[in-house]
Amino acid sequence: MNTADFPWLTTIILFPIVASFFIPLVPDKEGKGRPIRWYALVIGLINFSLTVYAFYSNYDISSPDLQLVESYSWVSSLDLRWSVGADGLSMPLILLTSFITTLAILASWPVTLKPRLFFFLLLVMYGGQIAVFAVQDMLLFFLVWELELLPVYLLLSIWGGKKRLYAATKFILYTAGGSLFILVAALAMAFYGDTTTFDMRSLMEKDFPLNFQLLAYAGFLIAYAVKLPIFPLHTWLPDAHGEATAPVHMLLAGILLKMGGYALIRMNVEMLPDAHVRFAPILLILGVVNIIYAALTSFAQRNLKRKIAYSSISHMGFVLIGIASFTDLGMSGAVLQMVSHGLIGASLFFLVGATYDRTHTLILDEMGGVGKKMPRIFAMFTACSLASLALPGMSGFVAELMIFVGFATSDAYDLTFKVIIVVLAAIGVILTPIYLLSMLREIFYGPENKALVEHEVLVDAEPREVFIIASLLVPIIGIGFYPKLLTQVYDAKTEEITARLRTAYFMAVEKRNPALADIQPFQAPALQDTAS
Amino acid sequence: METLYQYAWLIPVLPLAGAMIIGLGLISYNQSVNRLRTASSVLIVSLIGTAMVLSFGLLWSQVQGHAPYVQSFDWAAAGDFHLRMGFVIDHLTALMLVIVTSVAFLVMIYTDGYMAHDPGYVRFYAYLSLFSSSMLGLVISPNLVQVYIFWELVGMCSYLLIGFWYDRKAAADACQKAFVTNRVGDFGLLLGILALYWATGSFEFDVIGDRLQDLVQSGALSGGMAALFAILVFLGPVAKSAQFPLHVWLPDAMEGPTPISALIHAATMVAAGVFLIARMFPVFEGIPVAMDVIAWTGGVTAFLGASIAITQNDIKKGLAYSTMSQLGYMVMAMGVGAYTAGLFHLMTHAFFKAMLFLGSGSVIHGMEAVVGHDPVLAQDMRLMGGLRKYMPITAITFLIGTLAICGIPPFAGFWSKDEILGQTFNANPALWLVGWLTAGITAFYMFRMYFSTFEGSFRGNDSAIKQQLKIEQLQRMGLAFGPGAMNPKELTAEFPTSDAPDNSPDAHDSHHSSTPHESPLAMWLPLVILAIPSMLVGLIGTPFANYFEAFIHAPGKVMETAAEFEWSEFLIMGGSSVGIALIGITLATLMYRTQKIDPGAIADKIQPLYQLSLNKWYIDDIYDAVFVKGSRRLARQVLEVDVRIVDGLVNLTGFVTLVTGEALKYLESGKVQFYALIVFGAVLGLVLVSGIT
Repeated sequence: MNTADFPWLTTIILFPIVASFFIPLVPDKEGKGRPIRWYALVIGLINFSLTVYAFYSNYDISSPDLQLVESYSWVSSLDLRWSVGADGLSMPLILLTSFITTLAILASWPVTLKPRLFFFLLLVMYGGQIAVFAVQDMLLFFLVWELELLPVYLLLSIWGGKKRLYAATKFILYTAGGSLFILVAALAMAFYGDTTTFDMRSLMEKDFPLNFQLLAYAGFLIAYAVKLPIFPLHTWLPDAHGEATAPVHMLLAGILLKMGGYALIRMNVEMLPDAHVRFAPILLILGVVNIIYAALTSFAQRNLKRKIAYSSISHMGFVLIGIASFTDLGMSGAVLQMVSHGLIGASLFFLVGATYDRTHTLILDEMGGVGKKMPRIFAMFTACSLASLALPGMSGFVAELMIFVGFATSDAYDLTFKVIIVVLAAIGVILTPIYLLSMLREIFYGPENKALVEHEVLVDAEPREVFIIASLLVPIIGIGFYPKLLTQVYDAKTEEITARLRTAYFMAVEKRNPALADIQPFQAPALQDTAS
Repeated sequence: METLYQYAWLIPVLPLAGAMIIGLGLISYNQSVNRLRTASSVLIVSLIGTAMVLSFGLLWSQVQGHAPYVQSFDWAAAGDFHLRMGFVIDHLTALMLVIVTSVAFLVMIYTDGYMAHDPGYVRFYAYLSLFSSSMLGLVISPNLVQVYIFWELVGMCSYLLIGFWYDRKAAADACQKAFVTNRVGDFGLLLGILALYWATGSFEFDVIGDRLQDLVQSGALSGGMAALFAILVFLGPVAKSAQFPLHVWLPDAMEGPTPISALIHAATMVAAGVFLIARMFPVFEGIPVAMDVIAWTGGVTAFLGASIAITQNDIKKGLAYSTMSQLGYMVMAMGVGAYTAGLFHLMTHAFFKAMLFLGSGSVIHGMEAVVGHDPVLAQDMRLMGGLRKYMPITAITFLIGTLAICGIPPFAGFWSKDEILGQTFNANPALWLVGWLTAGITAFYMFRMYFSTFEGSFRGNDSAIKQQLKIEQLQRMGLAFGPGAMNPKELTAEFPTSDAPDNSPDAHDSHHSSTPHESPLAMWLPLVILAIPSMLVGLIGTPFANYFEAFIHAPGKVMETAAEFEWSEFLIMGGSSVGIALIGITLATLMYRTQKIDPGAIADKIQPLYQLSLNKWYIDDIYDAVFVKGSRRLARQVLEVDVRIVDGLVNLTGFVTLVTGEALKYLESGKVQFYALIVFGAVLGLVLVSGIT
């Protein structure tokens, strides 16, 4: 059989969804959900193997082009096609999704409330999430983007904490409100000009006038700013994360946030490069605000889940800086930061869940000194926190370093602006350890909290939990030790994106005239004369 | 020989492998690995031993005149950017490798005795090995980025080791303080690296130096900018080597077990700052402003550390401030261009200070037999005295270390400190004066320490002093708990074991001994071995036959072969520093040995100065009020803004939009989620309808 012609991506998307519909048929005599979770885990593992195999055998990492392409006509009158494909931007995120979701299924072992529905939703999400990264049709993208909201909504509102309904409602209002902008912008782009097309490739080649681009860019930016999230549209996230259970948490932090970053690069950067040149300084400012503002709020937060949620926001700020750097290194760092945070965020949220299962409180003041009773969780929590604060030898450090060096050497900004942004972003480097280490200190260090130790049974991590964290730490440390492991997968693609952007940038510089001066934030490259 | 160089990467990798094996074992089979104490420690010690043998081989080969060896591979790349990692073996690296591996090796042997009864024995070895690996990785780094990577990793190991006894509140606070303070320095270092890369397009030390010179000379880069870049990089060493104003973490770091105080916070990691200045010397030496900043930072730190050390009663804290002061000497040496002298002092200091710390550990170990496992009691010199009778080996080695640090010839410290002072005098007499005064203070506080610990009569069973120390501790905690909890009695009832969990009544019962005892072989053997270099290693760098300078000298500098040696100059300089040291020793003898002068009376007379020194110049209090409390307040305010204003405004905007639209009725019926369904349904409907037609 020629494996190259096999519809890999469609299979990977549809297999878990189809399999999820058989969950009602899985026998469960004890009523505790044991066979169901095993069924879901096996499906997850099969799908993960399929993903890895498709990547390994049919994906050429040296090419920037779309690969594993499938395109079937769906609604011909609208030119709507079921078209999927993967390039350097999608592939790492598809692999990440497959990996994290499978681990999330394993992390769902303690779920006993309505297990059938829970695992059904997880498997539906599995396919839906991969579809978001794989589809190459705008309308289809919008549909899967919306589709993936419903399982999250249900997962939040049924299995969440005390304020779960509020959190779930807020989540869906924010995201759905944002996605309206996607729809409007996508329709406008599709119907603009002589031809009507929803195909992303064709849209990239359409020549939109600047004002149109700016409007569409702003629309997309609002939608993706909710998802990523970007200040000030981030407030749904602490609520949603504060209420979610550990596996849902892993998906929210590990994958859903990445959709924002992915779509930002895919649509705003790739399709609207001229607008991106104008918007880039705004992205930088928003990125820095994200980093510092969220780090400070995280420091003040007394609720563990919300603390980590804010830390996610802070880390996503680096993605924005990388995207706006106009350098290969910065763009590469942005993608790396997304994957890296996917792994680190998922591991931290899983550990928060594991700690909560034992202490039954998320309030830091009610914890303290539990390190003695739970040395393994302590060790794993420390390792993951160190990864999160960008310790060298872990993936987060490489990503932040690449973004820093990439932006510092960018020739698209004048020196003063660049210095301010770099210095402010680097302040985040001081703030991150402050809140993460304070958190560790308040949970694990110091004398034991009597009230807690007497009322709760604090057992150490079980092998399943150690396995999940170990699985996440292996790629985190692997990438940290040898970043090319991951960067070579997408290098060709990010270089292509940057080249396109730089063309747009230099055209904008050339075209600059006095009338445009006030909306033209750039000055001539400051680096050229000194870098020789 | 070539094979030896090809396998030089094993030096950091061997301890790393050891740490990983033990670490994985601890995570997966905690109890069984914890039972394999001997096997674990033998594994770790033999791995570092192998690394030590390799290092000595490399040093020998370098002394024989082997050319520097560089090997690297492509680590990260994007576009035309390539970042290479690897290792370089040159004179400086070879020397540092030998210092680090030999001190680490001895400290690990010592650990077997010191930590023998600790439940975290195996974990401690894993951390030690991890640290050794990072430190060795740091010294073989061929470029700034790799230095930064290992720089952070040694910081992490330091964090883990300071917080080793994580159930002690003081240790928990200290490890976080150490990490965050170091991150402030790293913030500067990172910005400096970025700026230098922006300006020169390179991370290599000498390439940066050359290009920066060219840029400044051609006027493409202003001298002020170059100085700023250099000072930013220097912020890294300021934090790591505990220089003013980022020195505050080092004394607190003494909360960690004593072996790591010796290895990390005296001999190796804190010297990494000096090492980095040496590596960056090609960059710094062309920028006079930066050199002045470095020199004065070092000078101020040397004096500050010594002035605080005078009044410390905790033996480890005293040594910590002394370390800070000695690091100040090294940094000052670098700043005045005395490259060789600074590194020479780094080496001699590594040996004698490691020995002094291990000696203090031995003392604490002995004291614990009498007063129990409570750092407040076991480390306080007011409870010691007369220990020479009970611990003769510790006493003699400690005395050797004391003489070495005071700069009494022919002990190691004399030669290195004298060389620094001599060169400083030529460069900047004002700084020399600071260094010279500091030498006197050093001699005073070190002999104060020696006399109150080892001479006189043993005070360990004096319950009045114990009571007083406990009250002092509670008062310190009381302050930390706020004005509401000032009554020490109340605190005793509330927090009987808060700072010393081992100090339970049962633990007390197990200490029958009323006199301390000499430490076991594993502990005194390293002391004796370290005493040899502390006495003799200075002889390789005497001014009349300076083999050390022939081996280590500033890159690019041709050795002035006939650096004509003048007896008169040597005698004046050496005589003056020995002279002031003798004055310090005499004073200490009068006050603490023969008790001719009452130190309490002097302290009463100069109360403000005494309080200034005792309270560490109030620097910690100022930082606490400004930075710690300030950042907390700021963070709380930002969170308030986030919860009340940002969230509210965005919700309001969304709400207004909804009210004006159709969705209002869904809001009212409480089923807002249908809003999303409607949007989704509408699009799906559109697709289907257009599909049918």
